[in-house]
Amino acid sequence: MTKYIEKNSQQLFLMIVIVIIGAFLTIKSEYFLTPSNLINIADSCGYRLIMAVGMTFIMASGVMDLSAGSTVSLAGVIIAWMLHAGAGIPLSVVAGLLTGVTAGALNGLLIHYTKISFFIITLAMSGMLRGISLIITGGRPITRFGAAFMTIGTGRLAGIQISVWIAVILTLAAAVILNCTKWGSYIKTLGSNPEALRKCGIGTAGYRISVQAVMGLAAAITAVIITARLNSAEPNAGMDMELDAITAVAMGGTPITGGKACISGTMLAVIILGIIRNGLTLMSISSDYQQWITGFLLLISVLVSGIRIKNTRQNTQEKENE
Amino acid sequence: MKKLLSILLAAVLAMSLLVGCSGTGSNSSTEDTDEAQTTETEETSSSVVDQMLADVEAEMDSQLGEVPEKSAGEKVGILISSTSNEFWATMKTRYEEAAADADLDIEVYEASAEDDAEGQLDALNTMVSMDFDVIILSPINGTNLIPGIVAANEKDIKVINLGPGVDEAALEEAGGHLDAKITVNFEDQGKMVAEDIVERLDGEGQVAILEGLAGAAQSEGRVKGAEDVFAQNEGIEVVASQDCNWDTDTAYEATRDIMTANPDVKAIFACNDNLALAAVQALTELGNSDVLVYGVDYTSDAKAAIEDGTMMGSMTYSSAIYTKAAISMAMNLAQGGSYDEPLYLPLTLVTQDNVADMDGWK
Repeated sequence: MTKYIEKNSQQLFLMIVIVIIGAFLTIKSEYFLTPSNLINIADSCGYRLIMAVGMTFIMASGVMDLSAGSTVSLAGVIIAWMLHAGAGIPLSVVAGLLTGVTAGALNGLLIHYTKISFFIITLAMSGMLRGISLIITGGRPITRFGAAFMTIGTGRLAGIQISVWIAVILTLAAAVILNCTKWGSYIKTLGSNPEALRKCGIGTAGYRISVQAVMGLAAAITAVIITARLNSAEPNAGMDMELDAITAVAMGGTPITGGKACISGTMLAVIILGIIRNGLTLMSISSDYQQWITGFLLLISVLVSGIRIKNTRQNTQEKENE
Repeated sequence: MKKLLSILLAAVLAMSLLVGCSGTGSNSSTEDTDEAQTTETEETSSSVVDQMLADVEAEMDSQLGEVPEKSAGEKVGILISSTSNEFWATMKTRYEEAAADADLDIEVYEASAEDDAEGQLDALNTMVSMDFDVIILSPINGTNLIPGIVAANEKDIKVINLGPGVDEAALEEAGGHLDAKITVNFEDQGKMVAEDIVERLDGEGQVAILEGLAGAAQSEGRVKGAEDVFAQNEGIEVVASQDCNWDTDTAYEATRDIMTANPDVKAIFACNDNLALAAVQALTELGNSDVLVYGVDYTSDAKAAIEDGTMMGSMTYSSAIYTKAAISMAMNLAQGGSYDEPLYLPLTLVTQDNVADMDGWK
């Protein structure tokens, strides 16, 4: 039992935070614990969870992607452009997804072969990708794609937006992939100990490129949802979205240094951030406070996971000494 | 969140220094924080301003028709862009004042930043799950609030669009509608400035336009309004019309280039005051004090420049009457009224001639 608590301390901590914030908001606002408001929170978390799941993969592999938000913008613009050109929904969506995968793979290629810091590579890519969006659109949003396409963003299944179901399915799939497949464990090793992979004669290029492509795919799926939801593709879409995702992943307990992935933590963190956004609006508190609260929670969660890592290390050392 | 990015960058730069990479790592985050300028709220309101405000109100009232004076207990929610912009911070205060005058219950909501389009939609969705009778909203862009408006329509909450417009074609396609609309006619802003320029130049001379941002409704409307007036006057020649992306540096460079290529330019219309002040800066450095410079917004800096004589004029409107009219519309809608046509707020041009009388304008 203690072992279980120790192993999942981050998730338990996040759940306690959810309960505390939830209880506080239930007392403070009569609207918080209503079905329509809870559905609201879920709706607002859907696409953010998809981005954060993508970010969990690459953070487990020891990298962050600062171009993810720009990838959302470009993939959205490509979809909009294809739809307006009459390519039809399936082809346009596929083109958007391919845009994301290509952008991600390119990131992976550059990170692997240039050995330059991923910060700089993805920052440069971020500028280029958003630049392409701006060039294609001339800075103007592309709007109006018809009711059928909008269904992807606003349609509901059992009262909850389709995007939330997509997010849940992808999260479950991600958990399986990261925890139960060889690819998943190599991705984590790529973060903690890439030397070990090389010593085993495993080429890391393929893993680096494919994991970045997964992030690109997650960004592109987000783009499909946002574009359909707003009936519009904005060149400015996805601004700073990668930072929200990084915050959620770090808060969820995936170490910034990689080597571990905590998908359930990522999911709980996205929910916490969603509840905070919703709660501030319900209580009509300036969203300026959101930044502070988010930063504070991030710090505390990183401290909690930091203590845990230290404990685990001590435990292993003690065992070795015995 | 941009701060987090700059910290990350600083960390990377610091790391690269540790590794022994030569290079100076000076990384100052030069985020343009618009200096918070407190708008003039001198209580020494002159009779001229009172008369001007009364005229605007009379014109507004004629468009509003019969409206309730006091609240009948409605709940009105207001969604603005973000108070990080001085304009919206002022609007929030004016909303609260107007609501207090009408004994109306209001709550004002906002996004975390002026470009947080998704955050603004989340706020609207949350508002829809509360018991508002009417929501007055000012979207960050033409489409970001559409799903929220559709949700409000479904719950029979009346929706008023104030200021920046919702893309109504896209909204209709999504199955939604607006119940009323109150805004400023951007074309008229450009038109009024252009007419003043034509008058002061006696219909003769070269002029230039500094545009805001391609695709932005305010900018395109102002430019079109001005160009229409200039086109009707044969003696006026528009020698340049340059897109500045609302960026003061770009406006400064553009002004220098325009004046170099066309030293005879007599007047410059900039699509907002920040661009106009950048033009003034460039002209001052060129030693040219004869060009008439106009802006839009009547910010506190522009007011000072008009008083100093470096700017000729700026377009403004009364935010107090703007919000008061929106509040009246909200109460009217809640009590069964309706508006088929958009309402337009009357506009005012402040110039060197009348700036002295403008104390107390709000």
